[in-house]
Amino acid sequence: MMTEISEEERKKILESSPIGTWVLMLTVGVSMVIGWMFLYYGVFLPRGMIN
Amino acid sequence: MNDITERRLALSHMWVAFIAFILACFMGEYQVLERSGLFEALDSSTVYFASVSTHGVLMAYVLTTFFIMGFGYYTASTSLNVPIWNKQLAWGGFWLALLGVVLAAVPLLMGLASVLYTFYPPIQAHYIFYVGATLLIVGSWVWCGIMIVMFLQWKQANPGKPVPLAMFATTMNALLWLWTSAGVALESLFLILPWAFGWTDTIDVGMARTLFAWTLHPIVYFWLIPAYIAFYTLLPKQAGSYLFSDELARAAFIVLVVFSLPIGFHHLYMDPEQAKGWKLLHSVGTFIVSVPTFMTGFTVIASLEVAGRLRGGKGLFGWIGSLQWTNTMVLSVILSLLMLIFGGFGGIVNASYAMNAMIHNTAWVPGHFHLIFAGTTVIMYFSVAYYLWPILTNKPIFSNNLALVQLWTWFIGMSILSTPWHVLGLLGQPRRISSVVYNNLMTLSWKPYELMMILGGLVMLGSACLFIYVIFKTQFSATEEVFEGEVEYAETYHPVTDLPEYLNDIKIWNKVIAVLMFISFGIPILQFFFLDTYDSSAWGY
Repeated sequence: MMTEISEEERKKILESSPIGTWVLMLTVGVSMVIGWMFLYYGVFLPRGMIN
Repeated sequence: MNDITERRLALSHMWVAFIAFILACFMGEYQVLERSGLFEALDSSTVYFASVSTHGVLMAYVLTTFFIMGFGYYTASTSLNVPIWNKQLAWGGFWLALLGVVLAAVPLLMGLASVLYTFYPPIQAHYIFYVGATLLIVGSWVWCGIMIVMFLQWKQANPGKPVPLAMFATTMNALLWLWTSAGVALESLFLILPWAFGWTDTIDVGMARTLFAWTLHPIVYFWLIPAYIAFYTLLPKQAGSYLFSDELARAAFIVLVVFSLPIGFHHLYMDPEQAKGWKLLHSVGTFIVSVPTFMTGFTVIASLEVAGRLRGGKGLFGWIGSLQWTNTMVLSVILSLLMLIFGGFGGIVNASYAMNAMIHNTAWVPGHFHLIFAGTTVIMYFSVAYYLWPILTNKPIFSNNLALVQLWTWFIGMSILSTPWHVLGLLGQPRRISSVVYNNLMTLSWKPYELMMILGGLVMLGSACLFIYVIFKTQFSATEEVFEGEVEYAETYHPVTDLPEYLNDIKIWNKVIAVLMFISFGIPILQFFFLDTYDSSAWGY
């Protein structure tokens, strides 16, 4: 859905920091760390030594 | 500019790529059916391995190389606004590469080259297969040469001006491919071909695997970079936005190309011929490659966020709903990034030295590379084709709605196919098997996942057929309507007028790569000439 925006709003958008992107990237990064730790501590280590 | 030859070059290359792709898709579905063991009539390890080898070669070498060359020629011509340098040579490269494909296809289809796409010795194919593969690579070097000459000529004619980002990235990819393919070229020339021709009786498997590891990882980035080129240079205009940062984009391409090369030993973690110290060094490099991946994710999502907000999206994530989801480029980038997140996570697990032991040679690995390749990368090849076909043929896209359905079904099919594939790896299913000749609780527990894979493969096969249908109908349907658009490259909000030379040239990075490659592969290769035994050197330990 496209909404008309004013020239002032447009300028503000183009010059402001992409906060949503920062939050998304942080979420992805943290999720990857949690996922890695889950696999390492929850799946890999409990399998024990190779014998 | 009259660019009829450039269009023909692009279309010819891409049609070869997509014909290879659709043939390989049918083989892929056959393979999941056969491997499930649910259809006795299909059981044949001979046919299975011939099919897997052909599927791998068609997808990993033919689809990619021809697509990249076709896209590269048109990108060079349109971004620099000049004709292709030496068109006869470009056509010569095309026909040479195509001859290579035909030569390789004959033994593959006859079951005389069932060596998978990695063709690791000591399994041996008919020599014609290796000759064909070599010609394909030599044909692609012609493309690399033309891209580099055009880049340098443009720089000479426009001193001090920034090379258009699309061309900078394309040339970096050509440089990457020259370095990447050198490993397998050395392997073929000095080890495999003399052995396949019968001139030598034995082959140094350790050295062959080391040289192939040189190629095996950066080749993935050679495939991926065209997708990134579309992310950075085509998406912003399609989304109604600006490229967030031209400099950041160049930096991402540079780090990606430089650090994707000296890291191949994470494919050899379980191999005995290289010492732990070298593997650790390559492991560090592998993790560094995640940096440009995050830089790309940030830049592309930021461009999308600006687009969504310019369309009226509010709040932290309200801009996502405001994006133009009916635009094939926008949709495919979002789906591609989603698959990159999960595929990238799998890659981090693969690169983790200890955990690699858990998933090494299991079904996890093909699950991972299918998600990155068929998911992240190939969905962008579709998207580029949907974008370019109307421009190349002067005809409007046959059906935007069908194209959207195709992209969604590819994504859904990929999710259904690759998720159980990863799970099967964690459940202990080996890769590179055509069947299991034993039944116990463990193998029985694989069945539901294999059924899901069959379903996922079917959805993807349908999607692949739909893709071919849409581009075929776009090009060949009789319509009066004329499409007169041209390629529109992204602009930054603050135009880039000058750049430091290191962000605008390839020579310095070529030297950096040479040094890194010498450090990473020098002793690991030289050791084979000095060690009397097959033991690995004890560097660092």
